[in-house]
Amino acid sequence: MSIPEKSETELTSRWDCDLPVNNEPVVTVNFIFLAALSVLGLGLAVVRFFSPLGRFSGMNDAYAWGIWKTFNVMTLTALGSGPLGIGIAVWVFNRRQLHVVMRTAALSGFLFYATALVALGFDVGRPWNFWSFLLPWRWNAESAMLEISICMPLYCAAFLAFELIPLVLERLKRTGNDRLRVWVPVIERYVRLVYPFMMAGAYVVPMMHQSSLGGLLLLAGYKIHPLWQTSFLPLLYLLAAGFCGIAFVTLLLLLACSRYERPLDMVVLGELGNLLSWSCFAFLAVRVADLLWRGQFETAIAFDSMSVLFLIETGLILAPAIALRFRGMREAPRSLLQLASMACLGGMLFRFIPTTIAFEPAQRAVYFPSVIELLMSVDYIALGVLAFFLAAKCFAILPGKLEPAQFKFREISLRELVTQLKGRTA
Amino acid sequence: MSTRISRRQMLVGMMSAGAATALVVPPVAAQEHPAQPVAPSDAVAMLYDNNICTGCNACVVACSEANGVSPDTALSGGLWQMPPDLNAKTRNLIKLYKRPDGKGSAFVKRQCMHCLDAACVAGCPFDALKKDRWGAVTWDSSRCIGCRYCQVACPFDIPKFEWDQWNPKIVKCEFCFDQRLVENKQPACTAVCPTGAVIFGKRTDLLSIAKKRVARAPGKYFEKRVYGEHEGGGTQVLYLSRVAFEEIGLPTLGSTSIAHYATHVTSVIYKWLSGPILMAGLLGAAIKRNWDRHEAERPEREKETGVQDQL
Repeated sequence: MSIPEKSETELTSRWDCDLPVNNEPVVTVNFIFLAALSVLGLGLAVVRFFSPLGRFSGMNDAYAWGIWKTFNVMTLTALGSGPLGIGIAVWVFNRRQLHVVMRTAALSGFLFYATALVALGFDVGRPWNFWSFLLPWRWNAESAMLEISICMPLYCAAFLAFELIPLVLERLKRTGNDRLRVWVPVIERYVRLVYPFMMAGAYVVPMMHQSSLGGLLLLAGYKIHPLWQTSFLPLLYLLAAGFCGIAFVTLLLLLACSRYERPLDMVVLGELGNLLSWSCFAFLAVRVADLLWRGQFETAIAFDSMSVLFLIETGLILAPAIALRFRGMREAPRSLLQLASMACLGGMLFRFIPTTIAFEPAQRAVYFPSVIELLMSVDYIALGVLAFFLAAKCFAILPGKLEPAQFKFREISLRELVTQLKGRTA
Repeated sequence: MSTRISRRQMLVGMMSAGAATALVVPPVAAQEHPAQPVAPSDAVAMLYDNNICTGCNACVVACSEANGVSPDTALSGGLWQMPPDLNAKTRNLIKLYKRPDGKGSAFVKRQCMHCLDAACVAGCPFDALKKDRWGAVTWDSSRCIGCRYCQVACPFDIPKFEWDQWNPKIVKCEFCFDQRLVENKQPACTAVCPTGAVIFGKRTDLLSIAKKRVARAPGKYFEKRVYGEHEGGGTQVLYLSRVAFEEIGLPTLGSTSIAHYATHVTSVIYKWLSGPILMAGLLGAAIKRNWDRHEAERPEREKETGVQDQL
């Protein structure tokens, strides 16, 4: 994999539509590796359901939340907020040229949420009581946890899944049998009828639960270091989701398009870099104003361990914010890749640190995830990666330059998969 | 940008205005979590005084018996009840604090503080933890999903989780609510205490008893005050101590309820869902305008590029 430093005619070109990936078989070494991890992860999750939590994790009464919640849910769904950040840019602020990357955003967001919900489902100790969510009189409307446990599955199952319906319809239109094909225009008409209203929901609902993820930490009060404990946590968590989502989709597009030898559209990617820069500035403005307002400036530059963490986190967000203001930086693939990665990392640090590293209960205890806990966390991510690249080969997701011959959907059948698998292992 | 306003946009605009009104009105309504909660008149309480406690542990044994749990004997090699700290088998514990210089020591009784406005109750998604009659914080196994938010929220690190159980419960002092309180009996620990180091009664009565003790012998009491009168908005377990409260593991908390800190902004935004509805109206109006434009230009664009519009 190589990313060209200078724009060359054959390596960059305008993206005019989303195309399925056809220049690689479905079954590759990576596919087998990721599939093995995913099966292992889901298998462990099922075993975990039938055994106590203590045996599967390093969690304890002082650190009652482990990485399944704090990383897979609270941190990674920020990276999965691309459909929120870029969607608002496209449909609210009418940045129409970003339309072409919405499918990449929607699919990656869907998978981040879906795998987070799997992680969450196997993290809670008494999941059989969750049916209470159907009984509104059992809701504690004041609880951020309630908001998340209802809002997140709703967003994933209704709104993000809705954004993926057109991909399926498009494939059906070209590959389905006649009986199925009759339904495509009918469903498509309904999709287009409700689309703007669904989009309004698709932005309000994640705004609610992404801010509630920060809201969760408010009740922890003094346990969280003052550099992170603030009444502005909900807003900051939301703003972090905004820039993390944009940064991750940028990163994903650069990596995936290079991997599948797609030309890069540096106008679209540059526009993403531009938005990323402003959204980082928006986050930093609130972050710094809040610290000054609460008189924590000296804590921030005390150069003890927490202050150093804060400075690293802020530096990782500030650098892309400034650098991406320069057209040369955001329209060169290499620097854009580096800066988007920094923003992702900085945002992840901001979302993760207050849940674990800067979280200090009065009772003395340490938390470090156990091997199985780590493995399951990684496996959930592997499941998402596997599903993304499988979908990119079966549906028109990654953007590219249209050559009508390319717009072909490969056949997917179990027999074909088995043949490919045999070819690999032989 | 078009300046004409369609009927639909007008409608959306009016809806937004309605939502905005809804947003402004609720702050007038009474707050569910005031900054300084007021104890209900029937609130019960415990008062623990480590000037009196001899550390006999009768309350620890009585607690296990009343709650029907097998004593935690792991540390003593199975010989006697010896929990290292509050845990899934121990709802109540006498701990000994020793000064680092060896001069002086003090006992402390650790248990749920039954806060007037408890963080665990505010955070619990399905009201599994709730303020029950007389202000006791009780746990309902049929509602708890095991999210452990109560453990993250509790400023006193009280709720414990059965990490080694397939069907885990949240374990903490419930004031012997089902076992004794509903039968008009006082909790097991206060009933059994031989010295009166921990006593049970109405919160107002116990506060005045505590204050009388301090007034009679101010030198015996740290800061000449009762811990729990105001801490974290006030608790229903009150402490008198001869050493600093921090030293016996009681954190320094302001007088504002933590539940108030966590909900005073969101409760306004989410009142009748006015904030989200307002936001949906605002975003929806812009989205609808851009969408209509997108759909109007679609046939021409599709003809020009030869690609069907991809949503």
